[in-house]
Amino acid sequence: MTQGPVILAFDTSAAQCAVAVTQGEAVLAAATDDMARGQAERLLILCEGLLAEAGKSLQDLDAIGVGIGPGNFTGIRISVSAARGLALGLDIPAVGISRFDALRHGMDGACICAINAPRDQVYLQSFDETGAASPPEITDLSSLGAYDVPLIGSIGADPAYPTAVALALLAGQRYRTTTARPAPLYLRPADAAPARNAPPLILS
Amino acid sequence: MSRTQTVLALESSCDDTAAAVLRRQADGSTDILASIVRGQDSLHAAFGGVVPEIAARAHAEVIDLCVEQALEQAATPLGEIDAIAVTAGPGLIGGVVSGVMCAKGLAMAIGKPLYGINHLAGHALTPRLTDDVSYPYLMLLVSGGHCQFLLVLGPDSFKRLGGTIDDAPGEAFDKVARLLALPQPSGPSVERAAQAGDPARFGLPRPLLDRPGCDLSFSGLKTAVLRAREALIAAQGGLYPQDQADLSAGFQAAVADVLAEKTRRAMTLYLEVSPARPALCVAGGVAANMTIRSVLETIAAEYDTAFVAPPLALCTDNAAMIGFAALERMARYPPDDMTLSARPRWPLDTTSPALTGSGKKGAKS
Repeated sequence: MTQGPVILAFDTSAAQCAVAVTQGEAVLAAATDDMARGQAERLLILCEGLLAEAGKSLQDLDAIGVGIGPGNFTGIRISVSAARGLALGLDIPAVGISRFDALRHGMDGACICAINAPRDQVYLQSFDETGAASPPEITDLSSLGAYDVPLIGSIGADPAYPTAVALALLAGQRYRTTTARPAPLYLRPADAAPARNAPPLILS
Repeated sequence: MSRTQTVLALESSCDDTAAAVLRRQADGSTDILASIVRGQDSLHAAFGGVVPEIAARAHAEVIDLCVEQALEQAATPLGEIDAIAVTAGPGLIGGVVSGVMCAKGLAMAIGKPLYGINHLAGHALTPRLTDDVSYPYLMLLVSGGHCQFLLVLGPDSFKRLGGTIDDAPGEAFDKVARLLALPQPSGPSVERAAQAGDPARFGLPRPLLDRPGCDLSFSGLKTAVLRAREALIAAQGGLYPQDQADLSAGFQAAVADVLAEKTRRAMTLYLEVSPARPALCVAGGVAANMTIRSVLETIAAEYDTAFVAPPLALCTDNAAMIGFAALERMARYPPDDMTLSARPRWPLDTTSPALTGSGKKGAKS
């Protein structure tokens, strides 16, 4: 009999709908549907399907794990909003986890995790041997240097676990101590220019 | 209906995040148990208008908090909710998506039906909630994002008599406030400045009055205000407070004149369907402008028609109207499922030709 917390985790921050159901360290069900659009329509259908495949109901869940990015802004919000709704409705915690943490999960030692960003850029976060992370950043692909630690992710080696499975396993470790609600990790400001024309001078 | 129905509603289609709890009693009356609206004015102030990505970011992090606050204020636990209603469009897609996904999560979690509601239907049906107006009635929806005349024939039957072919009046108010260095929110500040102004000093245009029908346009009026301002700045280096007041008054009078004439035309078309208890109803934030409101009241009186303006909190964006629209739908239609889409474009009346956004993606609203 499998032991441990039952977790439903999902991520739509890339061009896919990734969902996993885990219990303790066991992966009960997982799927990754590649799709550039339509994640909002697919996500909860896929969750229902995988819960059924895992032989679990929503009421069995101990927590929700959700990918908070970085990645596609709308995709991140699709998952974060669904996770917040589910968590409120089920009265269980939702744990927001960055895709950097998901990429690193299962790795020992220092590494750099990389995620494709638009306009020939890349999101990066480096981890040292103890697992301590530098602040995440966005940088030009062309300015990437040579690294003496493994590079994991979109321009490096494959991660140890599929995204949603890593999210579920990490959520299982973190949900008892997580208090903040999941919030998107954008790493890029909103595209918005302050009003172009200066207001007129008011004379007196 | 033999028992009470309690609905939880979410709205996030523009720059207000809202949640509400409504209860329909066995006798058919509806009570608003809670209606929470969180605005974003301060987030958009520096940009002189709503920035879609900033709005979307804000919705995603507060929509569930609004739901909790509404449930708490209504003293209604989720276990007593019979259905979830959510604005599924039209609107700024980033915000609509957050509302729809949160609503799906809630509905799936509590195992209750989900209803995706048209934001415009929410506005259009509000007079039924507040004043028990009888079908058919004439609705002028005039807000920051929308401007249209709707013949409301039933809870799911709308005929659009006309609407703006470019900007909504609320957008024009925003632009004019920026041009005149008046603070946001623009509606109250333009109205205040106009009080001391001479509406006749600048000869501002009344667009589309020369064309038959109920369609409106506000883009040219905006440009005319810009030109008048540029001329003043070129001549004197800036604007005097009196210039601000006169341009505000002239602009507001032009909007009121255009709305008045088009409303008369819409009234004529409306009275042709011989309503038993005729009513001219308004919704949207622009309906809070007292000059515009009094013009509309006068026209209603001219046509011996009741004038119904719901209280401002139910005229501007809110979730109570979404919950009410769902209650009106529930008896007639099956609920939506987990594939419910957020729709940036979703005209209420799909039979009338599109006014805006008529490209390959179809009509906007």
